[in-house]
Amino acid sequence: MALTPRVRAFGEAALLVELGDVFDESLAGWARALADVWRLGAAVPAYASVMVSFDPELIEPEVAEGRMRDLLARGTFSMVRGEGPPVSDGSLKIRVVEIPTRYDGADLADVAQRSGMSVDELIAVHSGREYSAIFLGFLPGFAYCGRLDPRIVAPRLERPRERVPAGAVAVADGQTGVYPFASPGGWRLIGSTDAVMFDAREAEPSRIRAGDLVRFVPR
Amino acid sequence: MIRIEVPGFASTVQDRGRVQHVRAGVPVSGPADPFAFRAAQALVGNDAAAAAIEVVGLPFSFRCESSRIFAVTGRDITLAARDRMPAWTSVFVRAGDLVTVTGTERSRYTYVAVSGGITSEVILGSRSVYPRAGLGRVVRAGDALPLGTPRRTAEDAGHRVSFEYEGEIAAVPGPHLERFDDETMARFFATAFVASAQSDRQGARLEGVEVAPREGEILSCGVVAGAVQVPRGGQPIVLLADHQTTGGYPIIATVVGADLGLVAQRAPGEALRFYRVDRERALMRGRDRVALLASA
Repeated sequence: MALTPRVRAFGEAALLVELGDVFDESLAGWARALADVWRLGAAVPAYASVMVSFDPELIEPEVAEGRMRDLLARGTFSMVRGEGPPVSDGSLKIRVVEIPTRYDGADLADVAQRSGMSVDELIAVHSGREYSAIFLGFLPGFAYCGRLDPRIVAPRLERPRERVPAGAVAVADGQTGVYPFASPGGWRLIGSTDAVMFDAREAEPSRIRAGDLVRFVPR
Repeated sequence: MIRIEVPGFASTVQDRGRVQHVRAGVPVSGPADPFAFRAAQALVGNDAAAAAIEVVGLPFSFRCESSRIFAVTGRDITLAARDRMPAWTSVFVRAGDLVTVTGTERSRYTYVAVSGGITSEVILGSRSVYPRAGLGRVVRAGDALPLGTPRRTAEDAGHRVSFEYEGEIAAVPGPHLERFDDETMARFFATAFVASAQSDRQGARLEGVEVAPREGEILSCGVVAGAVQVPRGGQPIVLLADHQTTGGYPIIATVVGADLGLVAQRAPGEALRFYRVDRERALMRGRDRVALLASA
């Protein structure tokens, strides 16, 4: 895999660092690792990029950019680039988050049919693997989890629903996730959970954090 | 304490924003018009971390239990206690006086800062309210908000910051330059857009010429306030304070921080036009704005 990151100006107070053009779990892991070590401001990793911000009244953009290039040049990310095991010691232990799930979503039968499976098979396939929480976005506590078994066929809805209820377990385009809040949404609904996905009173408010492994447990 | 008498319809306490939890998908929030917010805070002598009230939906009125220095900033606003008082100016308000802020249809975001700051509850590292995720709630009539120790006294009244909301909006091209051909980019910077009625703290929607990207969506990436996203239809959306932390639409340009308020404060139907700056000129624009605060 060719890794030639691009560092681009994102206005005068942020950089967009593109690690690649396609989603790849190792690039996502690299993006998270870069976000972990960015100290000059906010950092938001995604599929294959990380957006980092800084305060241009305190730090020249060129200095921030140089700092990012240094981080990119460091060898310390070889681990998350897939050249070693993802877990090296206790301090880097990956958490497993279980989501108790009732497979009762409005689109459950439709997704099963599109995928050429019975509903029971779909439930077994969806709950039968651990997903990586690639990054969070869209809503507070919404984790993009992947990847789905490729047999699950679930393109985004042509017309998004105006209201998806909180706790809806959904799938779309090879990914799965849980809506933490009621919201408009275009993913297909296959189940629901009572788990609180985001709690502002907790120091770590999101039940799922980027990098976690997520398992859906049928109820 | 400051007691809210007439609350507007979506007024909230805001500080400079909540950056600590963007990785959990929590919007930064903070003021939709950062310069007006900062000017109000400077006029009352507050530090950069202090909180103020962002008023949406005038009129807004309040009383203060103790005499304090206040400043009200925003677009097309007037305020009065016993007498009319100037906006964008530090004013001394006596204990118990009713202060009323009124505006026009062009007044979208108004900042009421009080010396000592609003010391409401800090949630996840910030006082910025984001009701959608249970991070505080909008201000209601009868609310009494706690205040910090005043930084300025009656003698500090009369300081003024001058600011106009007219003029073009500076934007740095990109980051998704390869998604927009030269003609589209030129059209974006050459044509006036019109602010849509469907704008809020999440984003300002614009109508006008199409500036559609090549291909459709991008692989979602982290985004910033000021990012001008272009969905497939070609009608841009400028992200504002409560924007989602990630986005999947190509970004044609990024409005400089100093000009975010010029976008946020455009009323539905008003025209707005962008001009191209590089990063160096964007920084100069920011420094020019900060220099306006010297008189505060």
